[in-house]
Amino acid sequence: MHRRNYTLHLTLAAALVVLAAAAGRIERWEWKRGADAPGGGVGRVVVSTTEAPAAPRAAEESEEGFDSEAEVLVRFKPGVSDERMAEIAASLGDRVEDEIESVEGLASIDDLDDEEAAEVAAEYAALPEVEYAEPNFRVSVGPLESHSIRERFVSRLPLGAPNDPLFAEQWGLVNTGQREGRAEADISALAAWQKTQGSKKVVVAVLDSGIDYRHPDLAGNMWHRPADLEMYFDEQLGIVDDYDGFSALGEVRDPMDENGHGTHCAGIVGAEGDNNLGVAGVNWKVEIMPLKFMGRGGFGSTKDAIEAINYVIARKKDGVNVRVISASWGSQSRSRALEDVIRKAGEADILFVAAAGNDGADADRRPHYPSGYKLPNVISVAALDRKDQLASFSNYGAKGVHLAAPGKEILSTWLNGAYEEHSGTSMATPFVAGVAGLVLSVDQNLSVAELRERLFGTVDKLDALRGKIVTGGRVNAARAVGAVQIK
Amino acid sequence: MAYTKEEAVGRAREDLAGRLGVTGAEVAEESVEETDFPNTALGAPVRDEMSGMMISSGWRIRLAAGGKTYEYRADRNQLRLCDYKGANHKI
Repeated sequence: MHRRNYTLHLTLAAALVVLAAAAGRIERWEWKRGADAPGGGVGRVVVSTTEAPAAPRAAEESEEGFDSEAEVLVRFKPGVSDERMAEIAASLGDRVEDEIESVEGLASIDDLDDEEAAEVAAEYAALPEVEYAEPNFRVSVGPLESHSIRERFVSRLPLGAPNDPLFAEQWGLVNTGQREGRAEADISALAAWQKTQGSKKVVVAVLDSGIDYRHPDLAGNMWHRPADLEMYFDEQLGIVDDYDGFSALGEVRDPMDENGHGTHCAGIVGAEGDNNLGVAGVNWKVEIMPLKFMGRGGFGSTKDAIEAINYVIARKKDGVNVRVISASWGSQSRSRALEDVIRKAGEADILFVAAAGNDGADADRRPHYPSGYKLPNVISVAALDRKDQLASFSNYGAKGVHLAAPGKEILSTWLNGAYEEHSGTSMATPFVAGVAGLVLSVDQNLSVAELRERLFGTVDKLDALRGKIVTGGRVNAARAVGAVQIK
Repeated sequence: MAYTKEEAVGRAREDLAGRLGVTGAEVAEESVEETDFPNTALGAPVRDEMSGMMISSGWRIRLAAGGKTYEYRADRNQLRLCDYKGANHKI
């Protein structure tokens, strides 16, 4: 087999595995919009942990699924024109249903005379103008989502996309224009992943309501206290078993999330990528350190935030390579103590990425903290919607809000193995913290100042942000990691 | 504690009656609406409190007593009284 062909076969096989995975899982996904929360603003996806049979199903099995399913994926040889593809299909009593633009010559074929898919594939494979032909897998989903999911999985997602079944919903990573978004209004994750998918040597701390560190899509990327590091000791707190991270709350000091907010942020930073489950994080692999200072209600005290940051600095001095703190919280109360401890984190070479706030206001006039501290290790992050517009709720500030990231209708991990869609500068913040982690995976010796400058200097400038925030742009992972030349 | 809408309204009425020194019957339910708040403190943080910057769904509960209107905000995990005597309060 020609090596190029072999690669293509592998690629298509991988795509089919994704479809198979989807076939096994999508039936168990359940979107609940506002079903269990007031306001109706939450999209919730519950993923069963049990596998469904991935075998192809007959068309008549599900009237709610696709009633006109392409049976075969055919890769025509180079030089075969669109017209010729159509002629060939017509000669076999079929039609070209869709061309898969990202792979030259690849088309899905709809068999109009209802032959077995394997037989149709064999007919095409025997033709001299065909490179290969393989049966398609049937993905059966509910009527509302069926077309769009099929479209996403089969024809829109570019090669190189991870096989996480919900990836097509993650517009912040790859925006194909899904759900009326704007194509490419994303952080250019796919191009970044060509260079790096993250590193387990980089630790990103998520300072929040804790993390559901047992979530199946996060467990593999959680930080744990290394065996050669003693339990944390603090004069006031005494000995704290920080194997799973640190909590400033409670007697046991378990950083398990009881709210969901921290788990959502953690998934954006680093839900395991390409693991055939749920979503992908900005980092497919990374070490996420859970830090808990907000409880079940999603709020906490300044003192407890300081306690947790103090812990991070201590562990950094103990040799843990924690370089980034993601802080998706804040208030309008200024605390010099909080400012001081964040400054200390900077002196320990730790970047502090903070949410700009959700008041829809000019933060230069109405400051929000900790994002508003004028410290050299602080990045203040605004939120964008899927059309690259500043989200209506997002704070902005030509002097004090530095860059923007996707922050509206963001799908990520939630408590109890679930996935939910949420909005806020809370969601934009871990995109930037995650990209910082990606950068460090390839340039681990960057200082905080260099890392911050790298993120600022590689944004995609947007008209919507001109004069609104310092850089006037959206974080771009590909440019930040050097996967794409900076123009 | 975890609140349903009815429980949140009941607890708010009880709280307001206690604060004002009136009976529950003297507290009227003006309106209860589902809405989105700007953060996990339901847009009503207390002093020195930090909250998640996530749009959070909840209930805006308006109660009336003695000719004045009082606003409570609630979700499943919390109940807050807004701008009462110049400050927000967690109930």
